[in-house]
Amino acid sequence: MNMPVDVNATFNTIGKIKPNYIRIEDEEHVLRTYKVESIEYVKEEKFAGINTITFVCNVLVDDCLEKIKIYYNIDTHKWMLGK
Amino acid sequence: MCSKIIFHIDVNSAFLSWEAVYRIKILGAQKDLREIPSAVAGDIKKRHGIILAKSVPAKKYGIQTGEMIGDALKKCPHLELVPPHYQLYKKSSEAFMEILRRFCPVVEQFSIDEAYCDMTGTIGLYGSSVAVANIIKDTIYKELGFTVNIGISNNKLLAKIASDFKKPNLVHTLFPEEIEKKMWPLPVSDLFFVGRATAKKLFALGIKTIGDLANAEEAMLKSHLKKQGEIIYQFANGIDASPVVGEQPLFKGYGNSTTIAFDVDKTEAAKQVLLSLCETVGKRLRDDNASATVLSISIVYFDFNHISAQTTLISPTNITNELYEEACKLFDRLWDGMAIRNLGVHTTRIVRNFQNRQLSLFDHDQFEKLEKLDRAVDKIRDKYGVDSLKRASFINSPIYHMTGGIGKEKQTVNYEEVKLE
Repeated sequence: MNMPVDVNATFNTIGKIKPNYIRIEDEEHVLRTYKVESIEYVKEEKFAGINTITFVCNVLVDDCLEKIKIYYNIDTHKWMLGK
Repeated sequence: MCSKIIFHIDVNSAFLSWEAVYRIKILGAQKDLREIPSAVAGDIKKRHGIILAKSVPAKKYGIQTGEMIGDALKKCPHLELVPPHYQLYKKSSEAFMEILRRFCPVVEQFSIDEAYCDMTGTIGLYGSSVAVANIIKDTIYKELGFTVNIGISNNKLLAKIASDFKKPNLVHTLFPEEIEKKMWPLPVSDLFFVGRATAKKLFALGIKTIGDLANAEEAMLKSHLKKQGEIIYQFANGIDASPVVGEQPLFKGYGNSTTIAFDVDKTEAAKQVLLSLCETVGKRLRDDNASATVLSISIVYFDFNHISAQTTLISPTNITNELYEEACKLFDRLWDGMAIRNLGVHTTRIVRNFQNRQLSLFDHDQFEKLEKLDRAVDKIRDKYGVDSLKRASFINSPIYHMTGGIGKEKQTVNYEEVKLE
């Protein structure tokens, strides 16, 4: 299942959205922040009529780059972390 | 004159497909509801317990749209039931229509999940009709994630029948020259306009297939089925002259009905339900600047028998109180004291922008005041929500103060209560 996440993002003047940090609660209920190092690609999708923007990005986890997928739901303004 | 090219596009198990795509693509679920026996169904506790849509595997168990949940579970005990999610359906439907409009100049939305497209003259743009139908079908799947069936023919009727052939995710043609081979062997109940009651009558006349109907004598059908006989005879022969209308015509009537969570056997409770229906019907009329001249109410008893009555008003109105008073008068005349399952309030003979009310000697001259009151109430409810203001009579009442249409509980799904895989 996708998981809701906190995201710190930049919205620029031409409407481009760039996630900078994501924050997730780990198994011990400690909030952990991860920096988005780079964005591989961005894609706008409309499955079942729901407008979302998918970001595939690399985050730094314990000195190791990990590829993750996060979705921004344009209608609800919620971010989800892909499974 | 070159003949028309009409498409009928129909979403495969619409409500279920949309929910399945939502769960997979938005919520990240693994399980695809379309691949297991599953169905969208109402709430048994509120007696909205019927199947609204089913998956293809569920169909194999003989589950039918409109049947009771209990009966469906008897046929298939492991049937996965999904609650309705109308907010999602609206969004999916809008996105679906938007894609159709991209390809077609004239789109007639026929229901939430079907549309007719007049593709006449687009051959120079897209090529053959079958090719463009496949492009539309694949675009919808690629962008929105659900499948559709497309029927192609020269008129709306044949296109609709064609889209109902083998499912899912297919394009079929049914041109007049193919009628005999593709349409005539089908059971007569598959024909548009032939419901259960008509099918029964036709069966008694020895008419079982559409071919039997097409070759029957028109005069005989007319004598048994009146005007409808004429229409279905033409339909069976593939004749339908109705055009694809891009713009939705204005409503001819406004009405709402509700199945009550318990059987109503007291006048006060029944009238309260009528009031809550008049609230929503009145609001819809006022939103469209419409007033109604004829008001009718309908009652469905606990044994599913139903009756209705109507009255013509002295002057068209959209005032909630006035609608309610008339509904109560009808109710007092109609009701024989039996327990009620479902109540409805409907209005017809609509007048738009009605201003010159015919005053009568016996009127209480409060209409202007009531109109202003309704306007103020509507404004408050639009701004702060329908529950921001309600009549005192609904306090502590088991009846919701604005019933009819699609209730709040069917708009969204609380996914915390639903186990997703």
